[in-house]
Amino acid sequence: MKVSKNELTATLKKAFEALGFQSGDYYDAADMVVWLETHGFDGFDRLQAILTYLNTIGPVHADLVQEDEHHSMLDGKGTSILLCGSEAVDLISAQVIKGSWAALELTNCYNRTFILQRLVKAARRNLAFIAYWRQSDYCVKVSIAPGAELPEYQTFTMTGEFDSQSLRIFSGTDMAVIERQFAKELEFGEFLETVSAEDMQACYLDSVEQGIEIDEALWKTLNELVARVLVESTESSRAGAGD
Amino acid sequence: MHKDPHSSFESTDSNVKLLPLRPASQVMQLERLGSFHQSRLSFMRTLVRRMVAENWQITSPVFDLDDQGYGTVVYQVEAKHGTFSYVLFSHYLDPENRNDRVIANQWDLTMALCEGTVGTEQLEFLRANVPKQEAGRVDSRVLVLSRANRSARTFDYVVDELTQGRQPSVDVIAEVGYLYRTTAAYGSGKLGMADWEKVRTKHRDFARPFAAEMFTCYMLRHFSMQQADYLAAQRSPETAVTLHRDIKRYLGIGNSTGLGMAPFLINHPLLINQWIEMRETALATAIVAGEAGVDKATMARLDMATERVIQHLGEIITADERQSNSNVVVREELQALHLWLQEQAADLAITHYVWADLIQYAEQHWHIETQEVINTMLIELYPDLVDSLEEQMGTEESQQITPEMLVSELLEIIEDKYDWALAIDFSKYESKGAFWYRSEEKMEPRLGQTNIDMGMEKEMPLGIGRLVRECYDLLQHYNTISPEQNVAHFIMQCPNHSGIVARIQTMAQSRYGDIRENLVHSDVLPIYLLRCKLSFFGVSKFDPRSRLWVRNTMFQGAPLISDFGNADMAADDWQFPIKPVMTSL
Repeated sequence: MKVSKNELTATLKKAFEALGFQSGDYYDAADMVVWLETHGFDGFDRLQAILTYLNTIGPVHADLVQEDEHHSMLDGKGTSILLCGSEAVDLISAQVIKGSWAALELTNCYNRTFILQRLVKAARRNLAFIAYWRQSDYCVKVSIAPGAELPEYQTFTMTGEFDSQSLRIFSGTDMAVIERQFAKELEFGEFLETVSAEDMQACYLDSVEQGIEIDEALWKTLNELVARVLVESTESSRAGAGD
Repeated sequence: MHKDPHSSFESTDSNVKLLPLRPASQVMQLERLGSFHQSRLSFMRTLVRRMVAENWQITSPVFDLDDQGYGTVVYQVEAKHGTFSYVLFSHYLDPENRNDRVIANQWDLTMALCEGTVGTEQLEFLRANVPKQEAGRVDSRVLVLSRANRSARTFDYVVDELTQGRQPSVDVIAEVGYLYRTTAAYGSGKLGMADWEKVRTKHRDFARPFAAEMFTCYMLRHFSMQQADYLAAQRSPETAVTLHRDIKRYLGIGNSTGLGMAPFLINHPLLINQWIEMRETALATAIVAGEAGVDKATMARLDMATERVIQHLGEIITADERQSNSNVVVREELQALHLWLQEQAADLAITHYVWADLIQYAEQHWHIETQEVINTMLIELYPDLVDSLEEQMGTEESQQITPEMLVSELLEIIEDKYDWALAIDFSKYESKGAFWYRSEEKMEPRLGQTNIDMGMEKEMPLGIGRLVRECYDLLQHYNTISPEQNVAHFIMQCPNHSGIVARIQTMAQSRYGDIRENLVHSDVLPIYLLRCKLSFFGVSKFDPRSRLWVRNTMFQGAPLISDFGNADMAADDWQFPIKPVMTSL
């Protein structure tokens, strides 16, 4: 079945609310899922993979464990980027605006691809970002130029040791600043593949024109979650609607 | 009247801001927002202006009704930039099942506005889904889904009169004002429909807020009159007459609006800010235009408009005591304005700041509804100066945290922009005496009483004042123990408050900001929220049925489809509709 972007966003917000997310978090989480799905990054599959966890464990946020003027280290405590991605990007953005460049490592977190939407949104403030993480046996690198609507998404072979559940984000006032400051940290293996901006844009435009295909079972699951934030209707409650 | 018109006005640096815009502390009071009336920038007005000026062509390739008026109608709409289809299903409805509440599941009419032309296959798909409304699914070819119920009393009366060769009495029609009333118009991607983004980017004809929804109601009005004419002709071809043109213009569409509309104003603060800023810009433009003096013709137009509003308000039938009393007071005060205009017109023509003086006098002496009637009449006087603002009624609605901001700065912003929230004593029971929640019945928003009604734990976060207060207290504590820290660090410590922080920081950059009211107070009047939004839609004849819902009329007095392309209709002069004087029937 197909749903519209607005309809999907509204349903996701309420579903995340049912899972205990607070208002800032459920807005952000819904936007992350919708962005991935509408740009061809399997947002629904990634959501499904985490739903059981979110349904079992209440919302968990990351802790700031270490920080200096240009570097931060966060412990994700096993949570999802849906819950800790915003605060990580906000933290590094604040450091860049103050000091031109910064690096952040978020350890022990899941669903790192969701970070794409947060980085694209933050880049609107004329900040550049490069982020990478290990995905099974390869490395995903995303780069977003200041103000860019779409990221550059590439995969590379792994080089060296890198924790399998970490995410590294580098930011600067422009891409050259990042590459200059973090040349050593931004060395990658052999290039594997890329998702082109054209493909992302085409996917997005198709979702706006035709709607977004969603598995009926997932849609049902989301609506069952939504039902948790609804209140039983009684004669008394109808009076609260004007009857 | 006083001569110091600028005391309550703001002046800042950009071009638009040089206008004497009223301050947020005045405009964003809920009672004032709930006193707004239709203006030239209201969405019905801008839609009608566009259709008339662009001479939209509307035909009905399918008009398949039986002798009871039931069946299918498809109108084809050739707008300036595209073709659309308005598909309508007319059903028999047992009068006992006629219910205007959102929880109803049967209606007299169900409709869909679709892009392009509709073929046989799509028509069958729509026939299977549109009558079900929320229980059905449509697709992204559909822009709006709507339904309507018949005013049995008026409809039957009108058809009977036409059947017998007589025009219906204007007095009888005036008691209701419509043949059908719409109970919902869904757009913006609900139930599988096209997203607003698609409508905005692909369909320029409807690329303004709620334009497609308003068009759906306008077409309902057209059908209601066509169906009445059709049924009269079916019943007695020999004697039947068609509705007189002036009566048709006087007929609108009924509307009942309840709490479902209220959360929209809180959940879309940037959009509401934009609407209000454009309306205030229009008012300020009118004030500035009057600074060089006002010619006699303009004075005469204001005087005529004043008389019309007096009559309009006198023709409203409402059982609501507060609204009824208000209408009486406003009429008396407008009568004073009328006399003043008659006596002083010659002098006023050479007086500077005449509108600013008038507004100031009204603010100091007259009812808040009178003030806002006067404001909307002043806007009406300068179409050449204000109509272009209609293109700026949309905005991007993204709230974003400014993480580098110092916590101390955020505290100052709250003290400056949300002083109204900090002034509320939330330790009092009544300050938290109500809560908003969604019912399992079609997710209908409802208002509960704290500690009395069920559902408090599922409260919707609409009490912005209370959320600001809670955040402010936490920020103060955090700033005490961690001075010089920024908002990003506060969010790390208090992640549950990121939503309200984003809202505060975003809205602080807007001119008008949030609505200044404690929406969880025991005595909150949601009807003001409804009236505010409805005024931007462009409805008239507010008839509150309680503090939670209001009846009103849409498109009453508006040009007909047959008026499209008519240069005489370009004046767009149908604000505050009054009974037509029938000279020749």
